[in-house]
Amino acid sequence: MKSTRESRREGRLFYFFISPWLIGFIVFALFPVLASLYYSFTEYDIIHTPEFIGFGNYTELFKDDQFWNSIKVTLKYTFISVPLTLFLSLIFAILINQKIPFRGLFRTAMYFPSMISGVSMALLWFWVFNPQAGLFNYFLSFFGVGTINWFLDENYAMWALIIMSFWGLGGGMLIFLAGLQGIPAHLLEAAKLDGAGRLRTFWNVTLPLLSPVFLFQLIIGLIDSFQVFTQAYTITQGGPNYSTWFYVYNIYINAFKNFRYGYASAMAWILLIAVTIITFIIMKLSNRYVYYEGGRER
Amino acid sequence: MSNLALTKQLPVKPKKARAEMAQIIGFLILLLVTVAMIMPLWFMLSTSLKTTKEMLAYPPSFIPDHFAWGNFKELFINTDIKFGRQYMNSLIVGVATVIGTVFSSSFVAFGFARYRAKGSTFFFMLVLSTLMLPYPAIMIPQFLLFTKLGLHDSLLPLILPSFFASAYMIFLLKQFFTTLPNELYDAGRIDGCREIRLYWSLTLPLSGPVLATVAIFSFIWSWNDLLAPVLYLDSQENFTLPIGMAAMLSSKFRIAPWNLMMAASLLSVLPIVVLFAIAQRRFVQGIVLTGIK
Amino acid sequence: MSKKTGKFMLSLTLVFGLVATACSSGGGSGSKDGETVTITHYTIDSPDRTFVEKLIPDFEAKHPGIKIKVTKAPYEQFDSKLQSSIAAKNAPDVTSHWGYGGFMEYYNKGMLMDMTPYLDGFKASDYNIPDDVMNIYKVDGKTYGIPLNSYVTVMLYNKDLFDAAGLQYPPTDYEDKSWTFDKMVDYAKKMTVDSKDLAKAQYGVDFGFGERDQRPQYFGADVYSADTWTNGGKPSEINLTKPEVVEAYKKIYGLIWDQKVSPTPAFSKSVSGQFGDPFLSGKIGMSVVGSWSLAASSNFNFKVGVAAVPQGPNEKVRSVLYVDPLFILKDSKHPKEALEWIKYLITTEVQEKSIELSGGNPPVNQKAAEKYYSNFEGIDPAQIKQVFEGAYKYGFESYNHLISNYSQINELFINELATVENGDKKVEEVLPSIEDKLKKLLERVNK
Repeated sequence: MKSTRESRREGRLFYFFISPWLIGFIVFALFPVLASLYYSFTEYDIIHTPEFIGFGNYTELFKDDQFWNSIKVTLKYTFISVPLTLFLSLIFAILINQKIPFRGLFRTAMYFPSMISGVSMALLWFWVFNPQAGLFNYFLSFFGVGTINWFLDENYAMWALIIMSFWGLGGGMLIFLAGLQGIPAHLLEAAKLDGAGRLRTFWNVTLPLLSPVFLFQLIIGLIDSFQVFTQAYTITQGGPNYSTWFYVYNIYINAFKNFRYGYASAMAWILLIAVTIITFIIMKLSNRYVYYEGGRER
Repeated sequence: MSNLALTKQLPVKPKKARAEMAQIIGFLILLLVTVAMIMPLWFMLSTSLKTTKEMLAYPPSFIPDHFAWGNFKELFINTDIKFGRQYMNSLIVGVATVIGTVFSSSFVAFGFARYRAKGSTFFFMLVLSTLMLPYPAIMIPQFLLFTKLGLHDSLLPLILPSFFASAYMIFLLKQFFTTLPNELYDAGRIDGCREIRLYWSLTLPLSGPVLATVAIFSFIWSWNDLLAPVLYLDSQENFTLPIGMAAMLSSKFRIAPWNLMMAASLLSVLPIVVLFAIAQRRFVQGIVLTGIK
Repeated sequence: MSKKTGKFMLSLTLVFGLVATACSSGGGSGSKDGETVTITHYTIDSPDRTFVEKLIPDFEAKHPGIKIKVTKAPYEQFDSKLQSSIAAKNAPDVTSHWGYGGFMEYYNKGMLMDMTPYLDGFKASDYNIPDDVMNIYKVDGKTYGIPLNSYVTVMLYNKDLFDAAGLQYPPTDYEDKSWTFDKMVDYAKKMTVDSKDLAKAQYGVDFGFGERDQRPQYFGADVYSADTWTNGGKPSEINLTKPEVVEAYKKIYGLIWDQKVSPTPAFSKSVSGQFGDPFLSGKIGMSVVGSWSLAASSNFNFKVGVAAVPQGPNEKVRSVLYVDPLFILKDSKHPKEALEWIKYLITTEVQEKSIELSGGNPPVNQKAAEKYYSNFEGIDPAQIKQVFEGAYKYGFESYNHLISNYSQINELFINELATVENGDKKVEEVLPSIEDKLKKLLERVNK
């Protein structure tokens, strides 16, 4: 049992040590969240003082084609890119986890491209997808496919971005690989002794054990793809014809190009709510479906 | 691998043969995918060494006719690009961010790991809740704040927040710090160490590997970040690499300098590759623990 | 020099300035107010703008009480830095609309200072500025900007491609009515080489007359109602679905898809990047373009000629004018001194000097313009003069300077017309929806 004086001292030490975070939390997280809620009810161009307009920004948003389009674009990207990337990285992790030659080499080669991220990756793929001088169309020409304009064509720009996203699946693959290798050998042995085939073992033992990893990746993947910005800023500028006008790019343009900080803040708040809800839903679902070793949580 | 050779000699059970078949197919798939993954990299490398004329030629050549090493020099001497200056800016921001993140996050994590107080669980939940806080949701007030302070178009808004600890890193470090045995600290206290010494001279030296992971990943984050620099930096001398490189696509060039852009991309990936080479295991561990790719 | 040292130096000069002027009253002429004033001049970070730094020593020697400080940002960041510095109470004194936004945007936001009270005794004719040019930046008789440079729209052509095709060079005289749009298309057909190989492909003409919403003007059709030019840049009506406007757009994009003599966006962007001008790559025969492209002509790796924009259906308008003024921002504490700096920049002597320092900025001062015409190697000064004078005569100021909230409008046109430029949709399919969206946009921003 600690004395009260001791525990008071401990309390003081606790707050002393966490103070940098606490200050940072208030200044860089709590204040901005509340401030953007306030701004979302105002018309504000940074030069003049904010003018309170109630729900004006929100009612305008719901009538704004560009707002709905940006949601559509972002969801399209999310619902195609995230599951496919997850699926493919799991497949490749399983393949690499087999007893095959050059495993280390494969692993590094698959992972290496995911280190080239951000603008470097965007520029590279812009160039790879160059209609005339790029690698991709040249490759397709062997299969008799004619010139596709990729990022310059509204029907293909999104697909180009999705193909590009596969290039970074090495990181996810590594996580799955670590998960696979963390599965205790005795469980697999036991399944084998019970006469389970490979597929059944995978389905009944491996997959449930991987589910926390899967969940974790899903959340991060979803939240990341809600925030796509670099590709839209560097490559497409949201075009052609708004086909890659991502949500965060829409916020950026409205706030920092059109100088409508209030309107953009309303969008920022909607994003915040969406992310919170999705995280919450997945967590709830996970309690039902995700297997944690040593029994369910709670 | 010796296993494989063995089974090859004994094609007894059809089940084994099927497994082997699966492995060969798996191998071939991997080979194909790997080639597909590496090709763009090769294209990047070869374009960076092409002349403007060769770069536009169809079909694209895989090995440049003659190596235009001048492209790399051009990056540094062309005053429209200011590559050297921007590289320096990125390094400054990167290194400062690492220092800020490592020290502040370990400091805070130490507090969470070592001390109990009224509200300590609550505050830790608060840390966890900010894990998912998207930057775009808070960037506007942050921007307005820094702008009103006159810090617009300087590197400070990119560096300052890192000195107030990052939720990810607090989480990561706290997990590690709680594994350090209590006896260690008791011994330290008996030796008359003050609490801050326990943090500085006892915990930090024991946490080299985790701190390295934190350092590597905060560096990569800051190195690749585009959104925040785009908001804050306006003059070319203050650009970090990502905006500088994105700006190479804009206006100033008669023919889009793809060869220079690829050379710039190569050089900008360099620090990350070097980090990867010297700390591959930290890298993999970091990815697995944080899910950051 | 970083911002910090800049501030430090500034305070140093303020402190020592007091001491220095107190002690050195014996020597030198100039102001004896005992105070040095610093004027900030904010501009684009490109050599044709930053050259003003070289003029500062001379100006400061002539005006001992005034110091000039230059701040800059690239084109893409120009507006954002301007807004941020205004928000941080750190606004520049003198600048122009060098970013996305134009005069009317700045004016409607209340960013500009009315210079009229300080203009006693100022006569445009003293600086050889034509009255109609001076009037562009007046609203209700109040002056908000003083012209500095005047760009026009010209036709540039690649002499090498003309020679290779055995064609006669186009005329420079705007009164030569045989030089028509249709003839231009004929010429263009003879120079076009359609090829998958970027190194071989070339196109006859790139018709970049103004921004997308202004282009129909060349064909005698107006997208905006006439009141736009008198009511502060707020169109009361949009005419995008009127037959003559639709016909005009059909002609414009027919160059790419029916006549196939103009580069597709895919080609232009492959060669020149997202924002570049494909003419500079040497793969375009003729280019209707702003005269700023002329400034870089000494670096072209082909021989370039300049010609009149061909006669189109519109008798009156054949060239888009881009007159860049200098503004004094509302928060400036030293408008008088700022005006001294502006007046200095438009004197004949300085405008002449600026031509060479900038690499060929067209002066607004018509006396200095004589020197401008002879600034381009390999092009006959008389020809340039003829082209410029014709352009002034048949010119109309660029929409982006005259219409409020232009950057958002322009963004809309660029995105919506992309489908037409890519050949995916027909003009008549797209225009009604642009009209719809534009109406909504204007309703919102002009309320």
